[in-house]
Amino acid sequence: MNLRLAIDRLILLAVFLGLWQACSMGFGTHWFSSPIGTTLRFGELSLNGELLYHMNYTAQAAVYGFLVGGIPGLLLPFMLRKQAVLNAILDPYFAGGYGVPKLALAPLFVLWFGIDLEPKIALVASIVFFLVFFSTMAGVQAVNPQYVNMARVAGASERDIARHIVWPGAIPYAFAGFRIAAPYSIGAAVVGELISSNRGLGYLIQAGATDFDTTTVFVSLATLTLIVVVINIGVAHFERWLLRWRPRTGAGTSWVAGA
Amino acid sequence: MSAVAESLPFPVPRSRRRWIPYGRIGVALACFALWQFGSYWMGKEWLPGPVATFARIWDLALSAQLFRDSLVTFSEAAAGMILGGVGGAALPFLLRLSPRLLKASEPFLSAAFGVPKLALAPLFILWLGIGIMTKIVFVASIVFFLMFYNGMAGILSVDPRLVAMARVAGASQWQVTRHIVWNTTVPFLFAGLKIALPRAISGAVVGEFIAADSGLGWYINNSRSLNDTVGVLAGVIVVTILVIVVNAVLQRSQARSLAWRPVSRDMVV
Amino acid sequence: MSSPAAALEVRRLSKRFPPRPGQSESPWVLSDLSFCVGDSEFLTIVGPSGSGKTTLLNILSQVDGASGGEMLFRGESINLASAALNPGLNCHIGYVTQDDNLLPWQTLIDNVTFPLKLQGRLNQESMARMQGLLKAVNLIGFDHYYPHELSGGMRKRASLIRTLAYDPPIILMDEPFGAVDAQTRTQLQQDLLRLWNLGRKTIVFVTHDIGEAIALGDRVLVLSRSPARVIYEHHVAIPRPRDLSNFYKLEGFGDMYETVRKELL
Repeated sequence: MNLRLAIDRLILLAVFLGLWQACSMGFGTHWFSSPIGTTLRFGELSLNGELLYHMNYTAQAAVYGFLVGGIPGLLLPFMLRKQAVLNAILDPYFAGGYGVPKLALAPLFVLWFGIDLEPKIALVASIVFFLVFFSTMAGVQAVNPQYVNMARVAGASERDIARHIVWPGAIPYAFAGFRIAAPYSIGAAVVGELISSNRGLGYLIQAGATDFDTTTVFVSLATLTLIVVVINIGVAHFERWLLRWRPRTGAGTSWVAGA
Repeated sequence: MSAVAESLPFPVPRSRRRWIPYGRIGVALACFALWQFGSYWMGKEWLPGPVATFARIWDLALSAQLFRDSLVTFSEAAAGMILGGVGGAALPFLLRLSPRLLKASEPFLSAAFGVPKLALAPLFILWLGIGIMTKIVFVASIVFFLMFYNGMAGILSVDPRLVAMARVAGASQWQVTRHIVWNTTVPFLFAGLKIALPRAISGAVVGEFIAADSGLGWYINNSRSLNDTVGVLAGVIVVTILVIVVNAVLQRSQARSLAWRPVSRDMVV
Repeated sequence: MSSPAAALEVRRLSKRFPPRPGQSESPWVLSDLSFCVGDSEFLTIVGPSGSGKTTLLNILSQVDGASGGEMLFRGESINLASAALNPGLNCHIGYVTQDDNLLPWQTLIDNVTFPLKLQGRLNQESMARMQGLLKAVNLIGFDHYYPHELSGGMRKRASLIRTLAYDPPIILMDEPFGAVDAQTRTQLQQDLLRLWNLGRKTIVFVTHDIGEAIALGDRVLVLSRSPARVIYEHHVAIPRPRDLSNFYKLEGFGDMYETVRKELL
C-alpha cells in the first residue's frame, strides 16, 4: 500500500471522525455519543469483561446456528444427487422455503423455544441452511461430466466419483455460500436478541437505546462491525488456502473484502 | 411440463417425469397432515393446526385489519426503497468520477457493509421514534447498501476501452456517463431492485417487531407477547404470502426462470 | 484386415441421438460402421470435422451407448444397443480425450496416479514405472504443481501418461494433440511413438489431420461425412522408426496424403 493511499485513507478517517464529533456536539451526547465517549466506554466495557460476555453470547448463537444450518445444507445436495426424482419433487419446496423471510419467523421461534439461546440458533440455522444448500447444489450440479467419464473409464466406483470428483468440484461453490452466510449469521443472532433477550450485543443495543444510552449502542455497533470485518478477513484467508488449486483470475478482483 | 423438466437440476428419465407433479402434491398434503398431527400432539397452544390458523387469517381479512397492516408494511417498504434506492444507485456514479476517492474509501465501505443493518434498528427508533418514518429510514438503509453494491458492480464492469474510445471521439464526462456508464450499469441496478423489494418488506417487518403500533410485524410480535400463537403463525403466513406475491409479480415482469438461483449477496433473507 | 488376431472388432455400429423437443427424428451420426483393430497395431482414423469421431470413441470406450451394432472384445460379443454401459470395460480400454481433463484440485503426481489409486494398484513397482514415464515425457520435478500452473503441452503429456500408467491393452485417443501449437504437437507425437515402442499397445487414434494420421499409423481408416462409415482403408508402408520432424519428406508420404485428401472431399 503506497504512501499516498495511506494518507488518503487517514484523511478519510479524520473526516469521518470529525463529522461524528460534529454530530455529537450538534445533537447532544444523549442522542449521539461522541467518538471519545464511545472509545472510553469501549475500553471500560472491555476491561470489566462485560463486552466479552455479551460478545460471547452473540457469537455462540451465530456459531451454533451456522453449524446446525450449514452442515445439513452442505450434505443434503450430495445425498440428493443420485435421487433425481425425489429432488425434482422437492425442488419447489426448497425454492419456496428460500423465499420465506426467515427473520419474520423470529417471534415464532421465540414463542416456541423460549428466550434463551435456542430461538436465536434456530433463526440463524434457518437462514444459513438455505444459503449453503443452494450454493452447494449449484456446485454439485456443475460437476464436469468429462471428469466423471474419465474417472469411470479409469475404474472408479460411484463412491470414488463422489469422493474425488463431485466433492472437490462442489467445494468452491459451497464455500461461497458459507462465506456469504457468515456475516448473516451474526446479523440474525442480533435480530433474535433485539426481539427478546437479556444478553448479547443485540441486547446491549436494545437496552442502550431504551435507556437513552447511545454510547453503549455505539460501542456495541462498533464491536459488531469489528467482528464481521474480522470474520470476512479470516474467511478470505481460509479460502485462499482451501482453494489454492484455483487459477488466479486476473479480471475484477473483488472490491469488498470477502465479497 | 417439459419446460419445467428442462430446468431441473439433475436429469430425470422421461419415463419417471410423470410422477413429479403427483409427488409434489403428495408432499404438500403430507405437510398439511403433519402440521395437523403436530398440532394434536404438541398442543394447540404450541402449534395451532392449519384450520385454526387459516380461520384466523380469514377473520383478519374480513375485519380489514389484514389489509390495513399489510398496507402499512408494504408502504414502509416501498417508501424506504425509493429513499434508499435513489441514493444507493446514484452514489456509484459519483464515486466513479474520483478513482482516488474510490480506492481510498474501499476499506471503509467494506466495514460499513459489515455492519448488520438490522442492528441499527433500535438506534433509529431512539432517534426517530416508533412512527412510520423510522421504518422507512431503516428500510432505506438496507436498500441503500444493496443498490450501492449492485451499482458499484455495474460501474466496475464498465469497459475502459469503450470509455477511452468515447473520449477520443470528443465526449464530455457527462456524455460518457450518460451513454456508456449508465447503459452498462442499468442491468445491475434492475437486478438489485428485484431483490431489494422482498428484502425491504422483510426489513419493514423486523423494524415493526422492535417498535411499532401497526403493520404486519407489529401484529406478529404483539401476538407473541400475548402468547397468541395462532396470531403469530397467521401473521407469519401472511408476510410469507406477501413476499411470494411480490416476488412473483417482479419475476413475471422480467420473465426470469425459476431454476436454481446463483448465490450472491442479493438473497432474500 | 492385415492382422489375424483382432484385439477389437466393431460390426455395423450405428448411432443417433434422441430427437430434440420438436423434432420427430434425428439424423444418424454413425451408420453401418465396421472395422477391426489388430493386436499391437497403431490404427489411425481420419475424418472430416463433425463426422462423429468423438461419438465413435465414446461408444468404443462404453462411455456412451449406441443405437445398433456389436463389438467383439476379448472373445466376448457386446450388443452395443442394449448392453448396460461399462465404461472402460473394466479398465481394459483406456481413453485419452481431446481435453486433458486433469482434475484441477489435484497435483500433477496425484493426477497421473489417479487411475492406479482407483484400481488399488499403487505400489512401489507401479510408482517406479510412473517415474519412468514422467522422465520419458520430461515432466520430472513438477510433481506438486497444480494443473493451472502447467502449460498446455505439459497437461497433455500428463493426461497421456495417466492412461499409459495403468497399462490397458487398448488405448483410444481423440485428437489429443489438436489444441497445442505445431512445435509442441510434433514433440508430443514423437513422445507418443517412443512410448508406444516401449510396450507395444493397441492404439486407436482419431484425428482430422491427414498428415498426423499417416505419420503415426500402421493403418489409416477414412471416415465419410455424416452418417459416418468407413469408406477407405490404407496400409501405411513407411518403415519404423519414423522421423517425425520431417515426415513430409518420407517416402510414399506425399502420394498417400493426396489419395486420402481426395477421399475426404
